[in-house]
Amino acid sequence: MARWGMVIDLERCTGCQACSTACQMENSLVAGENWQDVMFYTEGKYPAAQLKWFPRPCMQCEHPSCVDVCPVKATYKTKDGVVLIDWNRCIGCKYCQIACPYGVRFYSEVKQTLLPDMRDAWKSDDGKVWDPPFALPKSRRNDKWGVGIPPRHVVSKCTFCYHRISQAPKGTADLDPSDPKLREFTPACVVTCAPNARYFGDLDNPQSKVRQLISEKRGVRLLDHLGNKPQVYYLTGGEAGALPGSRATATRV
Amino acid sequence: MFASAIFRKAKANGSWLIDNIFAASAVGLVLTLAPLLVFLYFLGHNAYNFTNDVPWGLPVATYVFFVLTSTGLTFIASLAMVFGFNDFYPAAKRCVWLALVTLVAGFTALALEIGSPFRMLWALPTGLQYVSPMFWMGVFYSLYLVLLALKFLRINAGDWDSSLSRGLGLASFVSVVIAHSALGLVFGMMAMRPVWYDPMMPVYFLITAALSGAAFAVFFSYLPYGFRQENMPELLRALASGTSLAKVFATMIGITILSILSRTITGLWSNLDGLEAFQYVAQSPLFYFELLGLVISFYLMVSKAHQRQARWQILSAVLVIASLFIGRYEFVIGGQIVPLFRGAWVQGFAEYTPSFAEWLLVGASCFLFLLLFSAGEKFIDLASERWHRSSAVAHRPDATTLADASSAPSGH
Repeated sequence: MARWGMVIDLERCTGCQACSTACQMENSLVAGENWQDVMFYTEGKYPAAQLKWFPRPCMQCEHPSCVDVCPVKATYKTKDGVVLIDWNRCIGCKYCQIACPYGVRFYSEVKQTLLPDMRDAWKSDDGKVWDPPFALPKSRRNDKWGVGIPPRHVVSKCTFCYHRISQAPKGTADLDPSDPKLREFTPACVVTCAPNARYFGDLDNPQSKVRQLISEKRGVRLLDHLGNKPQVYYLTGGEAGALPGSRATATRV
Repeated sequence: MFASAIFRKAKANGSWLIDNIFAASAVGLVLTLAPLLVFLYFLGHNAYNFTNDVPWGLPVATYVFFVLTSTGLTFIASLAMVFGFNDFYPAAKRCVWLALVTLVAGFTALALEIGSPFRMLWALPTGLQYVSPMFWMGVFYSLYLVLLALKFLRINAGDWDSSLSRGLGLASFVSVVIAHSALGLVFGMMAMRPVWYDPMMPVYFLITAALSGAAFAVFFSYLPYGFRQENMPELLRALASGTSLAKVFATMIGITILSILSRTITGLWSNLDGLEAFQYVAQSPLFYFELLGLVISFYLMVSKAHQRQARWQILSAVLVIASLFIGRYEFVIGGQIVPLFRGAWVQGFAEYTPSFAEWLLVGASCFLFLLLFSAGEKFIDLASERWHRSSAVAHRPDATTLADASSAPSGH
């Protein structure tokens, strides 16, 4: 069984936010609810200020704290390494939003800050948050995976486009969007990334491109010290020596 | 027949103050809950100002405030019923009732806050997520509610000392210790939120819960007697006008002040990412109101000139209740106010101001608490005095002092 992971090459990322837009379209997200976001920020002060950006999907952690805190087991980790939410179980306590160190979880019913509220324009008549005309076909939605349009009062998050990757042929090492046969199984953000900054594949397969990039270019993980061990790796330039991810290696199973 | 018995009892027990509070809180509950339900019906949770940065807002702070107050009230009742500090018997029954109704108020706040409270009823037992502290919080606070209700029924029937009644008292004490510890760990286990991350959080909650309970016990023991010691039954008056109550109260206030200062100073001193929240807290005038309230209360309760007088005890209780409510709010918000990788150009502290609907929720919880409390005062004899006196007299005909009464043996 594959263990899906993503590599984002920060040297290639131009901050164009096509990934965010593709994600919004694929998953029918309400404005401002960015499962895949690109954070823009400045560091330092004039005249040495720097403009920076940082793409941030769900990290699909190896040890997801959101799964551990969910009192009703609505959020869970699949065998192929993806953290999903069962919208039929979620009670909307929002504890997972508290426990996620990466801020990638969204409550489906929060006051809209971007107006006009588009949910009012396309109201849903089947208990969903809204019903936009560009939504994923109903046949591809799955409430047990948290894929599609969420009902009211649940938490949603990036699923690595589980409706796509779960259909990929078994044994696939990499979901490379440049391969026409694999394109439809590849997450939307990876497909759309114009500068090819994103790679998606099986972290447990030594032949996979993602595994090779992580090894050769010394992929790093966000907030590694917290121990959640993201399955999203970032490449930051690559030639420097690797930093240890924790203060003592192999102390945690 | 039953109704007329209740009516007679109401007439016998009810002071005008309780009657007015009962009526006013019933009106208040309708005036807050009705518009809140209208808001929720038409707007859903959009009526609340929670954001994805601050998913837990004022309603969660209200829940924490009430359930920890309930915890503290059980501690106070247990001083007499479990640990044998008989001086506290005169307040015990009222404390058990207060613990019940504060718990109901807290649960109500939470039920109005979470997305699908009824789904919890089947999802919690079928999920059995035993690694989640919130799961255990739910299990043990529910168990505590049942045990506490049973205990109250026993003592209301006059059974204070049978092995069943004592067992229920002990079991409700143990269950609430575990429940509040689980609540402490709901916050304390969150390594990604260093404002909360603290394995000693259950101890911090224990101290502040005890103080919160003590303040409620003081205020609501005075209230039915028009805030006057001379109206109180003899043994309760002895407790109120003695120094032991003030000393216990002062000790808890002192430890709470120390805990708050220690947390805040550590937070301000440390460079750890996320602890900037303490700068946010320390910039708020509410924080100084909280601290000042506690310091004044502490002074009043250690000062020999003030500690035994009703008015200063009541002022202290009010200040402590207000301070702790602010403290719970700061605590809940403080853990979330430093955003976690949230979106483009989201810099600085997250923004959160409770909405009108959230204040309605707080109002509804408080009015529900007052309604249930005053209903208890009206329809149930909440003074432990009657049993205690008869028991004391039965065993010691000359028993008139607190010391004598406190040695009243079991066997009623």
